[in-house]
Amino acid sequence: LPVGLAQWFPALEELDVSGTGLAELGTELLALPRLRTLLAKNNRLGGPSSLPKGLAQAPLGRSLRVLNLSGNRFAEVPPTLLGLRGLQSLSLGGNRLHSIPPDIQELRSLEFLYLGGNFITSIPPELANLPSLSYLVLCDNKIQSIPPQLAQLHSLRSLSLHNNLLTYLPREILNLVHLEELSLRGNPLVVRFVRDLTYNPPSLQELAGRTIKTRNVPYAPSDLPENLVRYLSLASNCPNPKCGGVYFDSCVRQIKFVDFCGKYRLPLMHYLCSPECSSPCSSASQSSTSQSESDSEDEASVAARRMQKVLLG
Amino acid sequence: RYTRNLVDSGNGKFNLMILCWGEGHGSSIHDHTDSHCFMKILQGNLKETLFEWPEKKGNGEMAKKSERVLRENQCAYINDSIGLHRVENISHTESAVSLHLYSPPFDSCNTFDQRTGHKHKVKMTFYSKFGERTVC
Repeated sequence: LPVGLAQWFPALEELDVSGTGLAELGTELLALPRLRTLLAKNNRLGGPSSLPKGLAQAPLGRSLRVLNLSGNRFAEVPPTLLGLRGLQSLSLGGNRLHSIPPDIQELRSLEFLYLGGNFITSIPPELANLPSLSYLVLCDNKIQSIPPQLAQLHSLRSLSLHNNLLTYLPREILNLVHLEELSLRGNPLVVRFVRDLTYNPPSLQELAGRTIKTRNVPYAPSDLPENLVRYLSLASNCPNPKCGGVYFDSCVRQIKFVDFCGKYRLPLMHYLCSPECSSPCSSASQSSTSQSESDSEDEASVAARRMQKVLLG
Repeated sequence: RYTRNLVDSGNGKFNLMILCWGEGHGSSIHDHTDSHCFMKILQGNLKETLFEWPEKKGNGEMAKKSERVLRENQCAYINDSIGLHRVENISHTESAVSLHLYSPPFDSCNTFDQRTGHKHKVKMTFYSKFGERTVC
């Protein structure tokens, strides 16, 4: 970046340095007080000093709304950008990311997140804590499962998961009532019923968490270390209508196929808090009463119909 | 998803439209309802994957015939006797724009599930017509 950039153009709001071969964005950036859009696609960014230190503390830390770093060489999400509290749109498509940091939840204003074309293997449940996220792109990665907590993204309108390694989806995906687009092609989704009742007994932390939630034990953020406060916020409700339980990480898994608007049969993973619970949708291989089968089918298909334009491609 | 923007409806004999593809956007596998379909890339690149028609009962993964990446200014043609295709912008950094001519015009087609060959009729909609955003 040219020295004195901010002196020449103090009112600069949009800067596009895409395709310029830059390996570093220097401290000249920090002096641009009004910068709202920074496009730096297709460069050689990715090393430790790619972004200037103190990015979040500079004036542009509050003004920056759009940041596009796609087509670079980032192997991790640069921690410096996680302090950009005003950021609405972030693209790191086509980089070399292997994971998403849980601190992504610091980007409180984020509405658009593009992470397609990386090497991501899993999604941290903390991603679900982004209150305004409406457009999430995770296509062309190596993702094997979706955390059920993602269903807490109430603003989510578009979810792109095509070309990953998903074999099933969490049943909670049906709770995303505002979801208009969902792409799932190019995943090895199971097409036959899979019975999997392996159950890892819950950890002491999980048991304590469950007790706090189900017995409504009161606590304030000042009572607990921050990581435990966050852990408790990630509780999921057991889908068994007769059970008021919650679970965190330890659960029984059952795959149930749900018809989406009569079009596609998707394998949805039901998580139950213990082997004693039964899924609201009973397994296909059991011969339960036809009444309860059709009731639970209806519940699932009503929820499925709420998803409008499902793009399964 | 990608948007379909009608530019000209001819004299009822054809539809001319511009499709705008964001990064990662792709279509489903679809047929062309017995019409001629021409496509020209105006900006960026689009990958076209051709598929064989599935067997009557449609059971099992659909068979890919071929795939190619169409560059700026390249043209492609397809009709139902050639096969089915999926069109995608596989770039994660660039958007793409294509010009499509369909004759005769059609507003519904079949989409196919690649894993099973099952088809489903869908109505096609326009994001805009003659420069005006269509209200859904």
